[in-house]
Amino acid sequence: MRESDVIVIGGGLAGLMAAATAARQGKKVTLLTKGAGTLTVGSGVIDVLGYVNATAVISPYQSITALSADHPYTIMGRETVEQGLESFLAICREEGYPFTGSLHQNIWLPTVAGTLKPSCLAPESMNPLGMECAAKVVVVGFQGLKDFYPRLVVKGLKHSAPYRSNYHIVGIDLQLTGGRDVTFLDIARRLDTAEGRGSLVKCLSAHVGSGDWVLLPPVLGTEPDYNIWKQLEQELGCRLVELVAPPPAVTGSRLHKLFVRHLRRLGVNIVENAFVRSADCSKHHCRAVISQGLGREREYFADAFILATGGFLGGGIIAEPGRVYEPIMGLPVETYAAWKMWSKHDLFACTGQMFGRTGIRVNRQLNPIDSRGEIVLQNVYLAGKMLAGYDYCLEKSGNGVAVVSGYQAAIMALAGVKGC
Amino acid sequence: MLKHKCLDQCIACTACTVQCPVTAAAREFAGPKMVGPALERFRLFDQDIEISADYCTNCKNCDITCPSSVPVSLFSTLAKAQYRRQNGKSLRDWILVNGEMFARLASPVASFANITMNNAVVRTMLRAVGIADRPLPKYAEKNFYRQFAELKQQRFPDKVVFFPGCYIGYNDPRVGMDLVAILQASRYEVIVPDVVCCGTPAVANGYLELAEEKARRNLRELRRWAREGWPIVTCCTSCGLTLRQEYCELFRANGADEVASQHYDAGEFLLEMLEQGRLNSEFIPLAGKYLYHAPCHLRAQGIGLPSLELLQSIPGCEVNVADAGCCGIAGSYGFKKDKYDIAMKIGERLFTKIKDSQADMVVTECGTCRIQIEYATGVKAVHPVSLFKQALRFDWVG
Repeated sequence: MRESDVIVIGGGLAGLMAAATAARQGKKVTLLTKGAGTLTVGSGVIDVLGYVNATAVISPYQSITALSADHPYTIMGRETVEQGLESFLAICREEGYPFTGSLHQNIWLPTVAGTLKPSCLAPESMNPLGMECAAKVVVVGFQGLKDFYPRLVVKGLKHSAPYRSNYHIVGIDLQLTGGRDVTFLDIARRLDTAEGRGSLVKCLSAHVGSGDWVLLPPVLGTEPDYNIWKQLEQELGCRLVELVAPPPAVTGSRLHKLFVRHLRRLGVNIVENAFVRSADCSKHHCRAVISQGLGREREYFADAFILATGGFLGGGIIAEPGRVYEPIMGLPVETYAAWKMWSKHDLFACTGQMFGRTGIRVNRQLNPIDSRGEIVLQNVYLAGKMLAGYDYCLEKSGNGVAVVSGYQAAIMALAGVKGC
Repeated sequence: MLKHKCLDQCIACTACTVQCPVTAAAREFAGPKMVGPALERFRLFDQDIEISADYCTNCKNCDITCPSSVPVSLFSTLAKAQYRRQNGKSLRDWILVNGEMFARLASPVASFANITMNNAVVRTMLRAVGIADRPLPKYAEKNFYRQFAELKQQRFPDKVVFFPGCYIGYNDPRVGMDLVAILQASRYEVIVPDVVCCGTPAVANGYLELAEEKARRNLRELRRWAREGWPIVTCCTSCGLTLRQEYCELFRANGADEVASQHYDAGEFLLEMLEQGRLNSEFIPLAGKYLYHAPCHLRAQGIGLPSLELLQSIPGCEVNVADAGCCGIAGSYGFKKDKYDIAMKIGERLFTKIKDSQADMVVTECGTCRIQIEYATGVKAVHPVSLFKQALRFDWVG
């Protein structure tokens, strides 16, 4: 059967970043995915570190040192975090959809809930820097759009510095009639067309002028480029900002498209709908992973394997009463406490939930290790939410850990591959 | 796992709706999450009918997308069948579902049938029943079964069971004959079993009773060959997916698992032959620029894009992936008058990509994808097996 240098299992951001990193080094990479991953519905902004001990982080670079010893960032090291993010930025630049931001300074991104969310890297069309000097801020609502209430946005932002200026609300009807609910994606698809953009400009131009800023949900087209954003800014003569939104957030889907395009360009063999069920491992070495979805089993051989199958949500770690396990390789899962202690009654407790940090412990090379610190499988590297020791909900670090550990897992896998 | 209805695994993340080509093109469609798992919860208690289920093309992008292994398309198909049962059958859909019957009737008089189909009177009649005003696929002068029967095969101990399917059987037999030629040259004897239409159109149109009849009929025959251990090969990705998924998932029919586990897509089988050094041939460099389009029903099979890998192994062959989504035709869907515009809109991204690519030819496994691509772009489309055969040098006397 076919043999690859590196096999990546998991098509979320960690897996995509790992596959891209290995392929950029000229390696033969196979990416096995089951489902398109939550990236396709998420906001796609890269939160690196938003909060430590319930306190907002100004510079993730500075605050990384405050994290515990078993945190993935601490294990990989601050330089690796820097390199991983640099590489991510380079990929986005090469694909014509550059992200803005720096590890040294968080950006407060306005959301559709009228809150500000600390993030690190974001699409340029989401960058609110400079809005404090706006002549006025116009929040655009769309007829029939669910999960977006301009008054809620205004109410929230008025109370959070530095945007206390002059807010206006403009409602636009893009004639998305009949059938189902209108989502962000429906509006974005309408704005993909010249006709849709024409009606937006027509409705909006009477309400905005130069020096104004316009806040919209993430609807400026479905493709990973800034053509629509730039065109509309030019035609309206003002600045446009897309807000962070819940699914289907469009911005995440753009990033997903960008990565898939990048991987295809690099010749990565992407196998969709491949459900990896088990692995052929002996002693400390993995020989192959075995997929079975429809029909018979298939073996995929490689020198190194990157497991990026996610946490509880992605199915990379499975919890049952009294039992937590990793289903493919049977790796030891760190749960930190007896299972009755996993959750607290207070769902939003600022100390987080125990299950949030559950995952697989790794060494510096991102190999899985057991409770004694011994390497379980030498040619297997882990990335993303399956790593133990961090709670992305609490600290706002989900995509940051995904990008950096995806990058690092590939670098370590290549260092481990014979002849590299 | 796929064989059970994993309804509670749906966490309503909307990933399926985001990736659904029909949802993108038609506001009338409530989307796979709604038509499938969300409303299925109501259907468990009540005879809740979702009219928009009829918009689903059964392209399987929802299944490919779902991160929680929910058989989304299964729920939509069951909903469609329920709608069909309660709202009666339409003559138009009955015609489309029974394409094989018409092909059998027309095949002996193919030239006459081809002229008649496009005759003004017949076209008016077709329009009246709701068939779109676009050229219907032509029947081959000599169908695959006749060509194959006339072939003097060399006998070999290794056998391959080839399931041609309706389109190769009656419209595009060359693909089948090309596969037979490659296999014979590589010392395989080809068996064409006594099968009928796989049932894809029946499934897609909600005629599940008819599809099940075909499934049981085919499985009785195919199981025999599967038990002897011979690979069952398809060139049509929809036939392949139906043998592999629908028979197990929808009907849990006897022998479905055995057949599914012996099934190979032709590209997959040839790639394995190539890797095992079994391909008894040398390559002739194949000049030209090709654009490969992956049919949705291949992507759903979880085997990657074997034909692409196969073509990339040909020296001189420049082949790129279109990666521009569904072509929109979905078998019979694009031939329906009320769905025609949606089908064309779904394919727009692909058509633009093809026109911009300046490729000499599009390569894709699915017969109706080829029809749609040639119709919408004017660029010639071929099956990868046919292209692959052109790149092989072998002396084979049939």
